Amino acid sequence: QDRTITGTVTGKDDGLPIPGVSVKVKGTNNGAATGADGKYVIKVPSGSTILEFSSVGYVSQFATVGSGNVVNVSLGQDAKMLGEVVVTAMGIKRETKSLGYSVTKVSGDELTKARETNVVNALAGKVAGVRINSQSGTLGGSSKIVIRGGSSFNDSGQPLFVVDGLPINNGAPMVSTTSGSVPQGSAGTDFGNRASDINSDDIESMVVLKGAAATALYGARAKNGAIVITTKKGIKGQSSVTFNSSTRFDNILKVPEIQNEYAQGTLGLYDRTTLSAWGPKLSDVQGRLFPDFLGNQVPLTAHPNNAKDFFKTGQTYINSISFDGADEKSDFRLGYTSTVQSGIIEKQKLNKNAISFNAGRKISDKFEVRASINYTRTKGEGMPTQSSNDPNVLIGTNYLPTNFDIAQIRNNYIDPVTQQQITITPSRNGNNPYWIINNNTSTNVVDRVFGNGILTYKPVSWLTISDNIGTDFYNENRFLPTRNGTVGALTGSFINANLYNRVMNNDFIVTFDKKLNSDLGLKVIAGNNIYETYSRSDQALAQNLTVDQLYNFSNAASVVNQNGSSKKRIVGIYGDVGLSYKDYLFLNVTGRNDYSSTLSKDNNSYFYPSVSSGFVFSQIMPENNWLSYGKLRASWANVGSDGDPYRLAFAYTGQSTAFAQYGFGSSFPFNGVLGYSIPSIIPNPELKPQNQNSIELGTELKFLKNRISLDFTYYNTNTKDQIVNLPLPQSTGFAFKTVNAGSIRNSGIEVTLGLVPVKLTDFTWNLDVNFAKNKQVVTLPSDIASYALASGWSGLQIKVESGKAFGIYGSAWQRDPNGNIVIDAATGLRKTVNDQRLGNTAPDWTMGINNTFSYKNFSLSFLVDIREGGIMFSNTVATLRNSGLSPETVANRGNIFVDKGVIQVGNTYVPNTVPVQSMQDYWGQYTSTNTESSIFNASYVKLREVNFSYKVPSAFLQRNAKFLKGLEIGVEGRNLWIIKSYVPGIDPEANLFGAASNGEGVEFNNFPSTRTIGFNLRVKL
Amino acid sequence: CKKYLDINKDPNTATTVDPKLLFSFAVVSYANLRSSGDSYIPFALAGQSVATGGNNPTGWGVPSEEQYKISSFSNANSWRAYYTTVGANLKEAIKLAESASPVNNNAAAQNKIVLAMCAYEATTVFGDVPFSEAWNTNISYPKFDAQKDVMEGCIALIDAALKQFDDASPLKISDYDLFYKGDLNKWRRLANSVKLRILMTMVDKDPTKVAAIGTMITAGNFIGASTDNCLINYQDVAGKKNPKFLLNEQYNNGVDFFFGCNYVVDFMRNLADPRLPRFFTKPDQAADYFGVENGATADDNVNVRVSPLLHSAVEPEVFFSYQEELFYEAEIQARGLGVPVNLAAATTLYRKAVQQSCLFYGVDAATAQTFAASLPDLSTVASPVKLIHMHHWVDKMDRGIDAFTQWRRSGPSGDETPALKLPIGAPAGPLFRRFEYPTTNEIAVNPNAPKNRIMFTEKMWFDL
Repeated sequence: QDRTITGTVTGKDDGLPIPGVSVKVKGTNNGAATGADGKYVIKVPSGSTILEFSSVGYVSQFATVGSGNVVNVSLGQDAKMLGEVVVTAMGIKRETKSLGYSVTKVSGDELTKARETNVVNALAGKVAGVRINSQSGTLGGSSKIVIRGGSSFNDSGQPLFVVDGLPINNGAPMVSTTSGSVPQGSAGTDFGNRASDINSDDIESMVVLKGAAATALYGARAKNGAIVITTKKGIKGQSSVTFNSSTRFDNILKVPEIQNEYAQGTLGLYDRTTLSAWGPKLSDVQGRLFPDFLGNQVPLTAHPNNAKDFFKTGQTYINSISFDGADEKSDFRLGYTSTVQSGIIEKQKLNKNAISFNAGRKISDKFEVRASINYTRTKGEGMPTQSSNDPNVLIGTNYLPTNFDIAQIRNNYIDPVTQQQITITPSRNGNNPYWIINNNTSTNVVDRVFGNGILTYKPVSWLTISDNIGTDFYNENRFLPTRNGTVGALTGSFINANLYNRVMNNDFIVTFDKKLNSDLGLKVIAGNNIYETYSRSDQALAQNLTVDQLYNFSNAASVVNQNGSSKKRIVGIYGDVGLSYKDYLFLNVTGRNDYSSTLSKDNNSYFYPSVSSGFVFSQIMPENNWLSYGKLRASWANVGSDGDPYRLAFAYTGQSTAFAQYGFGSSFPFNGVLGYSIPSIIPNPELKPQNQNSIELGTELKFLKNRISLDFTYYNTNTKDQIVNLPLPQSTGFAFKTVNAGSIRNSGIEVTLGLVPVKLTDFTWNLDVNFAKNKQVVTLPSDIASYALASGWSGLQIKVESGKAFGIYGSAWQRDPNGNIVIDAATGLRKTVNDQRLGNTAPDWTMGINNTFSYKNFSLSFLVDIREGGIMFSNTVATLRNSGLSPETVANRGNIFVDKGVIQVGNTYVPNTVPVQSMQDYWGQYTSTNTESSIFNASYVKLREVNFSYKVPSAFLQRNAKFLKGLEIGVEGRNLWIIKSYVPGIDPEANLFGAASNGEGVEFNNFPSTRTIGFNLRVKL
Repeated sequence: CKKYLDINKDPNTATTVDPKLLFSFAVVSYANLRSSGDSYIPFALAGQSVATGGNNPTGWGVPSEEQYKISSFSNANSWRAYYTTVGANLKEAIKLAESASPVNNNAAAQNKIVLAMCAYEATTVFGDVPFSEAWNTNISYPKFDAQKDVMEGCIALIDAALKQFDDASPLKISDYDLFYKGDLNKWRRLANSVKLRILMTMVDKDPTKVAAIGTMITAGNFIGASTDNCLINYQDVAGKKNPKFLLNEQYNNGVDFFFGCNYVVDFMRNLADPRLPRFFTKPDQAADYFGVENGATADDNVNVRVSPLLHSAVEPEVFFSYQEELFYEAEIQARGLGVPVNLAAATTLYRKAVQQSCLFYGVDAATAQTFAASLPDLSTVASPVKLIHMHHWVDKMDRGIDAFTQWRRSGPSGDETPALKLPIGAPAGPLFRRFEYPTTNEIAVNPNAPKNRIMFTEKMWFDL
């Protein structure tokens, strides 16, 4: 018997009815369509229970007809389909098909399926041309985004983060007691980048604007692209409670291998004063006893699992709950997310609480108000100190010769009687890692609030006047204690730093939107922007503590204070004229003029225009079966940007300390006098805005009824007149001078390919591939041979030269004209030459492959992330080799070893016959005098993400658990497997330089990255 | 709008300062460089005026600077100090003093003398270095001057300073003068002594300097008393302690990392030198003061460590001492540099130098006098100049680069005083002779810099 089913189809995003949705009864020819109010009526024959709802631009959905006669459905937008609306620059919503540039949207669902505590990481592998670079596996650690290659010599080129129209801060400030661009000592601690305060559960969508034409309206701030985030709002007619719970387990992704044949010592002899493993062969000294670090006489035995035992399984619990609802006039959403995380080493914790509230109301037909506020409190504990020059550097001291037993070290780090540290060697490098872990736990607490208010007035249907005012501020307290008894700071010390940051932003926008005639539409936008950022840091280093473990300034014999602040303002006026012809030809012209406080009055005004056009040519093609959609895009933009504050005038800075190696400088006032210094950078009062010119061409094609879709983009961006701190030889008395010099051209292609290889009623296989290839070419003025972006240690630098891309430079093996390595006849060891280019830091290309299999309500997806090309330097590998810990250092010990190479005799080279004195010398020379030996191919293939989820059918819920609107369970995995890599024991993505630096490809005692497996439960009430 | 944007003045910096504020930062930075891990440790160990104690658990440890493993930080940080924190601030202070109205001639002269000391030291550390084109905001890539020219330039700088002093002017650095509290006569004496030091470093390579030395000796007015010593005092206050002391305090529970080496200790023991207990701590079990061979593992029951009396929190960093002046004068008399050879005068001077050294290191006056008087008359010894050199070097035992330069200028290669051997564990080949140039902060950035690696074993111009 036929039944009549009725219902309403609404949009998942906005709750508004969707007209024109096709409704079909599966297995029959019965069909209907929704009306303007989204309602439909359909006859369903007996025996049929499934309805299919489909509409262009939305994901098709099946619904089961239960016992009732009403089936309401909400459809989610399909990111790959046409008709999609995306939020572009300045919060302007535009149809994707009208855009003249490439945008990529990542929906909130994508971000919450396998949740990352740092939302930036969730983009990894998903967007063509967007590279994510995380600094470490530290909980809450920082991640950097590079869009279409680095375009700046001076900064890390981070995109602008915009949340509901408010540009927010994504800083990663370093706290260091020694100045320098290299994150050393306490500055090597990874406290994260502040975009991580954005809660992924509150995100409705994330749009990545890659090119200048896309971001031109944001002005200078978005010269590196923009991540435009729209937060979730209450959905009309759907008062609901959503609960999302994840439990995850983290463990170390890759552990360096340690050799288990030789014990601690030097030159074949046991020596407990060193952490090197150049001691005796274990099998040769069985039956003999040696003093261990506790002074006990013990036999030397292997402990092959030390490194594995050192790292434990971390746990993460992310629970979020949200309440939302809306009626005709008002909407609200209140969300709360709790993240509780413990790390893979003891005492490492992260605790994050995020509350968000978003509400809007139509005061009248013409006037609407909306406000949102987000509060996040993040507390991190036990962040390890990375890099060098700090007694608290952890990684490195936990990779030990095999005769150590990590359990014994763990259980014996403190003398129970004296409360003194039990060091693992009596020498100056002997800190017990568990002393560091248990006592010297770095902590940060971030309190952050951001939010805005939006007033919209629509006096007539074609005119909208709106104002969006917002602020974003945070206070971060960092505390880095070093307990009395820590070797290197035996009298104890602590650093306390308060970092305050504030952004204020106001946009006043007038929009004129009218159809001029039946074919021609015109949209004109005019706006004014006022933007201010202010940051302040107050930090103090307290030394010589009297009462043990009391970290109060009154307990310190000396406190060295440092403070600083900076403020910058931009005023901008902008406009956007958009023309549309017959819904297939679109043209947009934008212009913005900025006035920046950081440039001189003569140079502080700069204008940048952009033109973009989209042509949906398939609209004027005859109907056909193979091409369902075709579009061409073209855009051109020219944007300028300012520099940092206070770069124009020569000024003298009061000094709190005078440097001395090993961290023992003197503090001022010294013997009653203060000290001042000239700047390290020669300022430039004539500084001009830098200028970026870019073109972008692209096409979007869909074939065979959307079974194949292809998006291809070519871009070419030239950033010239760069405001750079040009490194000077220090014999000038300065380290840098600020100039407008040099250009960086990034050109490349981005391809996104979507395939639906299989589409059956119950089963779908989606295959999405994104590919990006970027070519970077730097041009420097002829008088500048090279330019250093960042310095590492031991002569390693990230540098550029004309005609090349960002590269790693350092010492390399000396080679004869035939490429043979030259050996020193006196020692049998390899010779080195300084300052050689060793390779590019950026990859040749990157690719993400995502497969999604859906069967009924089951879904399985996995994302493979591929990087090809580029190099990295690993100091951990160098250290392990230097100290004889790496398995490869076992070879030839005790044998005569003649390195392969040549010896110079006069002007000729003959094969080397000189043996090395010892393998300890060989590896010592191999790693300590040379950068090249610790350089590796940074390519990788990674299984980035696996998701398996099951959505309980709504019909089942209606029958058995009516109070539930939705129930979904899933298993999620992230960073599961490094399928292919060339770096021994290290994740090739590790990077010492944080999100604030454009240095890349240097690993220096980095905290290892983790693998995550978790479970997820989503309930909607 | 204009006013709204007019906020680009850094609230944390000053646009004008008194030159004394730059001077104080420069000289404290300079003292810290000389007494810390970037300069003191490498030069004291590679120059073998102290020893690591090999694998002794509480010694500095090997391999180390003693095996010529000089960290690239040390090269880079030393360079950075000479050229930026020290040199550039002194240069800027000179500029500020000379462009002030009225001109502060005395402050300019005071800064010039320290700048000459700094540049002279830089060239003794690195060899040919930028000087004539250094510290100039209009020259981005300074050329490297030959060592001889750098030293001549330092002499010219001192001569200019001496001419510039103006006793009639009340303007000078006084309260911020950590050396002499504004005593211009002491500054003049320092200037003369520093000039003499430079000439003495040059004279063996450039014998034309003999005449200049003679002229200077005739004119006199050198550092003439221990109250003229040019030094910076550290304090026993957190944050103001001598960096050498801090290293032992923060890493080694106050136990000194460094051991007396055979060269120094044997020489002193044979003389029953009263400075021995001031320089070294003798193990209770040991019969007498015994050093250790450089690179060998020291025995805590046998070998002496550097004494906490020497490496104390308040140990001053000495830039020029009265005894150093006396050793130069003794050498000049003994060698007849610009004066006739006069071993009697030389004997008086070197005994006085040793006496002053004893007093400086805390030996009581009577013992110091007796000990100095007991030293042999130079006319009775086979190599009087070598003996002066040895005493001179021993006096500078704790002065890193100064001892190393004294050793290098004491004779042609192979005939220096003392006759150092390669430390145990050091790479086969010649002895250590210099720091290598820093790559990152100079060589790689300066197209006018030498591009070939100049090894730490290569001698520089003055080093025969």
